[in-house]
Amino acid sequence: MKSTRRAVLMGLAAVAAPFVAARSWAQGPAPFRFALTPVFLDNDAAVISALRAALAEGMGQDIELVQRRTYQEISGALLDGSVDAAWTCGYPYLQHKAELSLLGVPVWRGQPLYQSYLIVAEDDPATALPDLRGGTHAFSDPDSNSGFLVTASDLARGGKTPDQFFSRVIFTYGHRNVVRSVAGGLTRSGSVDGYVWEALSSAEPDLTARTKVIVRSEWLGFPPMVARADRMDEPSVMACKAALLGLSATAQGREALKLLSLDAIEPAEDALFDGIAARMAVLSGG
Amino acid sequence: MRPLPRFRNLPVTLRVPLVMAGLMILLGFLASQSVLSALGRVQDARLSETARLHVEGLSVALGPSVLRQDVWEVYDILDRARSAYDGQRLLLSIVADERGRILAATDPRRAPVGEEVAGFEAGAVPPDAVRMTGDPVLRVAAPLLFQGRQIGQIVTELDVTDLLAERRNVSIWLLFGNAAATALLAFGGWLAVARILRPVGALVSAMDDSKGAPRPIAETDIPRGDPGLSRLISTYNRMTTAVESRAEAERRLAERERFVSLGRLSSSLAHEVNNPLGGLLNAADTILSYSDRPEVVRQSAELMQRGLSHLRDVTRAILDENRLDRAGQELRPEDYEDLKLLFEPEVASRAQRLHWNVEAGLAGMIGLPAAPVRQIVLNLLLNAGAAAGQHGQVGLNVTAGEGQLLIEITDTGPGLGQADLGRLLASGPLPPGGGVGLRLVHDLVSKLEGEVHHDRVGDKTYIRVTLPLKDASHA
Repeated sequence: MKSTRRAVLMGLAAVAAPFVAARSWAQGPAPFRFALTPVFLDNDAAVISALRAALAEGMGQDIELVQRRTYQEISGALLDGSVDAAWTCGYPYLQHKAELSLLGVPVWRGQPLYQSYLIVAEDDPATALPDLRGGTHAFSDPDSNSGFLVTASDLARGGKTPDQFFSRVIFTYGHRNVVRSVAGGLTRSGSVDGYVWEALSSAEPDLTARTKVIVRSEWLGFPPMVARADRMDEPSVMACKAALLGLSATAQGREALKLLSLDAIEPAEDALFDGIAARMAVLSGG
Repeated sequence: MRPLPRFRNLPVTLRVPLVMAGLMILLGFLASQSVLSALGRVQDARLSETARLHVEGLSVALGPSVLRQDVWEVYDILDRARSAYDGQRLLLSIVADERGRILAATDPRRAPVGEEVAGFEAGAVPPDAVRMTGDPVLRVAAPLLFQGRQIGQIVTELDVTDLLAERRNVSIWLLFGNAAATALLAFGGWLAVARILRPVGALVSAMDDSKGAPRPIAETDIPRGDPGLSRLISTYNRMTTAVESRAEAERRLAERERFVSLGRLSSSLAHEVNNPLGGLLNAADTILSYSDRPEVVRQSAELMQRGLSHLRDVTRAILDENRLDRAGQELRPEDYEDLKLLFEPEVASRAQRLHWNVEAGLAGMIGLPAAPVRQIVLNLLLNAGAAAGQHGQVGLNVTAGEGQLLIEITDTGPGLGQADLGRLLASGPLPPGGGVGLRLVHDLVSKLEGEVHHDRVGDKTYIRVTLPLKDASHA
């Protein structure tokens, strides 16, 4: 019975989660607000705390890490100024390329690139996307590159939309949730960030072991840190950029990077996201 | 129905503990039933509470997601609720929309998204009505309410294997525990009751074992702690003494009855002795007077001889009747002659007619003891003579039947009264007053395993005594 009460509390917490960040937003004089998305980090308190400490140290000011459920919310918050900078995805960056500028891009396993994985349950006989026709599919976010755009653009090449190809499509708003969805059998397949899947395979091997990767996309630009283009000259934004790029130089920064399985954060050019742009073109063209 | 009489035949010292053990077993059974039903109620309440909280909690958490038909959110909440729930009680939770299509389940492989939930509702009950049925998996179905209206449905499978095991364990422990406790208490009870009832057992065996002669219980065996029982046993002891005294008195009475019957004969026997004495004295005078006449002396001497032989016969008959050392002697036809000799003067004194007919020879009397048969016949003859009165008739008819001797005594008297018949024919207690002669006849006949019959035909009373003949070797 005690456990049932706990389950109820968990349920309540899940419902209330989107409002928790809003509460903290109202506090404090004017800390630098850096947005993260659970699409990506999925609420790892240790990671968030380490990252905040490292950034605060690097910037020499208080940092507020703001979490939003979707990339759309992050983009909106960036554009309306309610957050000062954000770690988002290449796809939303390209969607708002005119208004946003790159602060830096993480280096993972030696390069600022990652892949999108198409995963199915461990015992699923499918080996390629066409085998998944008529099944259910989990995307992470409609504005995610690896968690939507890659699979959607692959389908678009065949003249299909996800809703036509799959019997049912759900958005889990979290790469880890995509893995959970496929591992738990809620959907037959899922589109997931390769970096997250790999990180999970060392953090939660039991979870990823119940899934298998059947398709890996080409290497694409890693989700970048961005700020509004018109605010790039603001001291706090510049300090943020410097702190991000200097993370690998400080102990706290390296600790945070280690928790994130990243090597460093380096300056980036738009050309890094050409692959994503090409897929966007396929999707809009299809 | 056979075991019941058998049970009734058991000694009271066994029956009472058995009844007590039976009651203990019944009590143990009822107690076990009550514990099990209480446990069942507790488990049902626990289950019902679990199911209700689960459903209510899910309703609160799932409401908005179900409204939006957000499959992932619903699954996420179910999945996290399941992993947070450590009791493993919830096997499967399914959430369906208001059209009855599954939105998500904790195990989507068993309950895939989009399928009809109806297939999972078989045997499902509302949370408040969930009860242990013996099935290890119970299903609960409840409407998913949000903001006061039903927006879907929750079906949950509860795993009650642990509760069933608990129930089974309790049952086994109760069974063994109660069996042991009952056996122990029944044994203790048996010991206690057997101890309490021991004086009663002693009483019963004292009354049973001694072949009709109750044996008193030793003073040391009387339980002084139990006033009721001790009074009962004291009374019993007094009773046994009274019975002994009565038997002794009866024995003495029987002894005396012989003298009594002789006493009743004494008057006529005195005449019987007196009458020849006059003749004998006359003969003696004649001899004295005519001693010189040899033929007169011879005649008188012969007369004296006959008179003296008669006197000798009478005296011998009296002595025979009176002798105590004749116990082992067998009955002979001569015994009837003796009886006739003794009884005839009685008949003569009342001017009665005697019909004497002894047909049975020695062969018809084999093995019968002389003393009791003589006593029987003499008593009956004396009674018949007394009953017949002046100028009456008395008869004796002794015949040999098939393996038995038949003695029939008749008289023309007014017949036997009810009290006399009671003495002669029954073994009941003697009514007060009256003699013991007829009862003595009854007792003697019984001892010889014979029978007494009474009949009254016309103005004649018939008393028939049948005595079975014994094998000579047994006599």
